[in-house]
Amino acid sequence: MKLKYFIGILFVLVILLSFIPKISGNLTDVKFYSTIDTTKIIPVKGVISEISNNLYKFIDKDGNEGKLYASNITNKEGIFYLKYNEYENHFTLKKFEKNTFFITFPFIPGLEEKARIILFHVPVAWVSVLAFLISMFYGIRYLKSENYEFDVKSVNSASLGFLFCILATVTGSIWARFNWGSFWNWDPRETSIFILLLIYAAYFALRSAIEVEEKKAKLSAVYSIIAFVTVPFFIFILPRITSGLHPGSADDLSSPGGGPVIKSGMSFEMRIIFFLSLIAFTLLYFWIFTLKNRVTELERKKI
Amino acid sequence: MIKESFFILKKDYKSELRNRYSFNSLLLFVIITITILLFSIGLEDISLDIHAGLFWIIVFFAATNGLSRTFVSEEERGTTLVLKLISESGTIFLGKLLFNLCLMVLLSLFVFILYLFFMNGFLIKNYFLFFVTIIFGSIGLSSASTIIAAIISKASNKGTLYPILSFPILLPLLIILIGLTKSSMIGKSIINELNQFLLIISYSGILITVSFLLFDFIWKD
Repeated sequence: MKLKYFIGILFVLVILLSFIPKISGNLTDVKFYSTIDTTKIIPVKGVISEISNNLYKFIDKDGNEGKLYASNITNKEGIFYLKYNEYENHFTLKKFEKNTFFITFPFIPGLEEKARIILFHVPVAWVSVLAFLISMFYGIRYLKSENYEFDVKSVNSASLGFLFCILATVTGSIWARFNWGSFWNWDPRETSIFILLLIYAAYFALRSAIEVEEKKAKLSAVYSIIAFVTVPFFIFILPRITSGLHPGSADDLSSPGGGPVIKSGMSFEMRIIFFLSLIAFTLLYFWIFTLKNRVTELERKKI
Repeated sequence: MIKESFFILKKDYKSELRNRYSFNSLLLFVIITITILLFSIGLEDISLDIHAGLFWIIVFFAATNGLSRTFVSEEERGTTLVLKLISESGTIFLGKLLFNLCLMVLLSLFVFILYLFFMNGFLIKNYFLFFVTIIFGSIGLSSASTIIAAIISKASNKGTLYPILSFPILLPLLIILIGLTKSSMIGKSIINELNQFLLIISYSGILITVSFLLFDFIWKD
């Protein structure tokens, strides 16, 4: 089985790519945020060239130019932590970091380093909804054919979806502690993932309440279908029409009208890594799913 | 088929009149809950949000007691086989849905009257919006409850399973209904809330369609 090596390599790649790149804004960011918060120091990746003593010409990664006052610079390229001086229209250097890696992440005010969560949290949430969808798909196939295997697949997918759903909740809530101040804020999307957990907990409760195997398979298939048709309401509709803390809610300024979450503030490179991570998690799900199916099948043969 | 389902409704109505089990127990349940609420609130002034929430909590749990009985009672009395013989599963589903809908409307009206009578802070400015909310809410609640009642009638511990299964599915609906009730208490006009009603219509439409298609699998078990 070569798939596991492929998934392993992909995960190593995703983890490296999501932690190595530094956060880097551009000069416009520095100008804008320095006027709001005077203590704010913003990292900018760029190249400098000397004009005169202690005065440099600074070109950032997007090609914006500016004057930079600094002393004792030995490196010409890297990440410069800048502040903007409004009255004299120049930048001052606070800290320097050598960095030659070609990818940087955009500077998002209020998020900064914490923006990296999107590379893990969103793919996990996506995989959980995908797993529930596949669970419903096998539920439908079970009702059509009454083949025991489909029921096994439906349960396995639902339990994996539940696991990924818990992962999404836990990663999100740890992140929320540091960004929003508390572990749980009853934001619409938090509410909806809570209901999703409740629904599939109810699904397992229903399964344990019925003894006869065929009846269990049939009723839980019906419940998984009914449960999944209501999922779009609280995954896609309610978080978009109500105001909340997550990107994509009704009062989100970066995507008016509540657009897809992916739009908000991600640069091209970041988006590529995001989709790489999405593929990695999806493949991981399918790999565990086939393994689980094989395990249950072997256990059944043993009995 | 619709005509036949009205016969099922009529049959349920008659059997309800005969022993008055579910309606009487529902009324008592509502009275008890409101009494507990009154004692816990005391002379406190509570906000509109809490009033709207409490109203739908009472309706939801009363519905839990009443609607879950629809198929369980058939199983207990042993009349399932006769029903299977006399008509198709779709007809029975529609009949039960209609019965549940009527029960829900009556129930929420009853809760409303009692609530209005006992709670001083519960003042509604836009009665039209409120009654439309009650009717749409009853449609939504009964659409999800009927199929879940059918599912639990085949399971073993029926009493506890019903709220567990129905609550997460009904929660998006309850959130919308609480919002609507609040706006009717503030006195917003119905035109501002059309989106919410569209949501309820699509929600109950999807649920009724799916359960209509799936009921056959549960019923012919």
